[in-house]
Amino acid sequence: MTAVIAAFHLSKWYGNVLGLNDVSLDIEEGVTGLLGPNGAGKSTFMKLITGQMKPALGTVTVRGRKTWNDPSVFREIGYCPEQDVFYEDVTGWEFLTGLLGFYGYARPAIEERAARALDIVDLTEVKDRLIRGYSRGMRQRIKFAQAIAHDPEILILDEPLSGLDPLGKRKLIRLIKGLRDQGRTILVSSHVLPEIEALTSRIVLIHQGKILAQGDIPYVRELIEAHPHQISVRSSDPRALAARFVGDVSIQKMTFGPDGRTLVVETHRRDDFFGRLTGVVLEAGIEVDEISSPDDNLKSVFEYLVGK
Amino acid sequence: MGATVREKGYTHWDGTLVERRFPWWPITRTGILLAFRKKRFKLVFAAAFVPAFIFLVGIYISERLEDFERFLQGSDRFLNIGPKYFSTYFTNDSLLFLIVLVLAYGAGGLIADDLKHSSLQLYFARPLVKRDYLIGKMSVIAFFVLILTALPGLVLVAFKLVFAGSFKFFLQYPWLPLAIVGYAALLTVFFAFYVLLLSSVSKNARYVMVMIFGVYIFSNVLFGILRGIFKTPYMALFSVPANLQQAGAFLFGQKLPHAVPAVWSFAVLAGLCLLAAAVLDRKIRGVEVIR
Repeated sequence: MTAVIAAFHLSKWYGNVLGLNDVSLDIEEGVTGLLGPNGAGKSTFMKLITGQMKPALGTVTVRGRKTWNDPSVFREIGYCPEQDVFYEDVTGWEFLTGLLGFYGYARPAIEERAARALDIVDLTEVKDRLIRGYSRGMRQRIKFAQAIAHDPEILILDEPLSGLDPLGKRKLIRLIKGLRDQGRTILVSSHVLPEIEALTSRIVLIHQGKILAQGDIPYVRELIEAHPHQISVRSSDPRALAARFVGDVSIQKMTFGPDGRTLVVETHRRDDFFGRLTGVVLEAGIEVDEISSPDDNLKSVFEYLVGK
Repeated sequence: MGATVREKGYTHWDGTLVERRFPWWPITRTGILLAFRKKRFKLVFAAAFVPAFIFLVGIYISERLEDFERFLQGSDRFLNIGPKYFSTYFTNDSLLFLIVLVLAYGAGGLIADDLKHSSLQLYFARPLVKRDYLIGKMSVIAFFVLILTALPGLVLVAFKLVFAGSFKFFLQYPWLPLAIVGYAALLTVFFAFYVLLLSSVSKNARYVMVMIFGVYIFSNVLFGILRGIFKTPYMALFSVPANLQQAGAFLFGQKLPHAVPAVWSFAVLAGLCLLAAAVLDRKIRGVEVIR
């Protein structure tokens, strides 16, 4: 399959700060998830693709055309930024029709497209309300509407699910999948793995401006599995609990938390550990108050991957 | 709530896409629309036509001097309608101040609001370049300045011809409409750069509004202070209104208000525009944020 978006040795600095470091990447049709913690370089990459920033080094092309300084490329791109980017004192309708005005449609076509986009995101009923009066979810949806209103072949969606309630998320995920089924190319960023998993199995891991891994989710999960997981168990007797696990070969390391009630375990086989833990707790009658995985957040996983 | 997303499809538009001749127009349209959403702006904008109305009445009276002799009591020397009358209209402090007032209320947020709301990333993810963006914003200012200068100026000339019932005035001063358009264009270009420069240095439109006033008035105060100290008319070059008045008097062929060659004032105004252009060039792309 040919690449729709292609980055070649792409780098971007903000003064002395490196935003993106030597990224070479091909993005094909369908949904690609760009996964990384906050500050990883996801938005920088997206802004380079949408031609809002000039690469310091390297190139980025959309269908073979460089995006920097070629505004005609943007007829094919729909961009949904992460931040709120509205004039508060215009209505949803004015916001959409105003932005559609840049594409050269006649007025009836502008109105038809704005109405359709509003309908898709379920905002028709509030289209004449000032954006100032929109809820967080409505703002996300009107932002999404402006990205799809001109019917682009390529969608760049920066954290589109953040701020949406579960129902709103489900609707938007369904809508993105629908657009994917029409053969569009969609790049979605998120720092939440389950969100990306719900959208696609093809992901790119980005951290500190570098692409750490790319491929299908099972591959990335495997990559993550190769690194130990941290599990924290707060109980009435953490030392008794630790004694039960000393002989377990799947355990790599055990430490005690500063509160004296927490046992922190590092293991490669998380599922096995949880299986054994249940038995041990029942056998020994140890009260467990809380079980958590401090490194379940993406940043910790990424830090493992970069060897911190 | 409307139908659920599941039941909706997305269809391709089959129309023909045309290259827009004026890609900046949606920016201009939005800018003007937003200005007229403000109640205070509407009042200021209406008040800005008061000088034009007064000068129109003056033209009417000048053609009916005998009817108004009792009211004028020798003041009719002010009603000698010619280039000086028009120069007075265009360069009087009150008109310039009202223009500044209109721009402060109506155009202060042109770039500041975009910076505040990070709207630039939406604009530049569309078929639009920086030049289009700036032309769109400048056109908002041009709309307000021209409507307060060129339009009333040409209307005053037209009414002079109508009230006089002949083309004698036009034949006597055929260059006057050109001077009106020329000075209105100069005001437009200068104020476009002046307002956008100040609008680009802050995200707070209120603060920009204060700056638009402040710089205009402070420059004149500075002129007064420096003239008192150095006793030279060249200090007028520090004053924004003084430079505009010098340029206006020159274009209308009148005696310059300050004993400084008009070319100096044109140079100062051009220099300020160039400075503004350089700052805008940097600021409009200077919105990149680290995420």
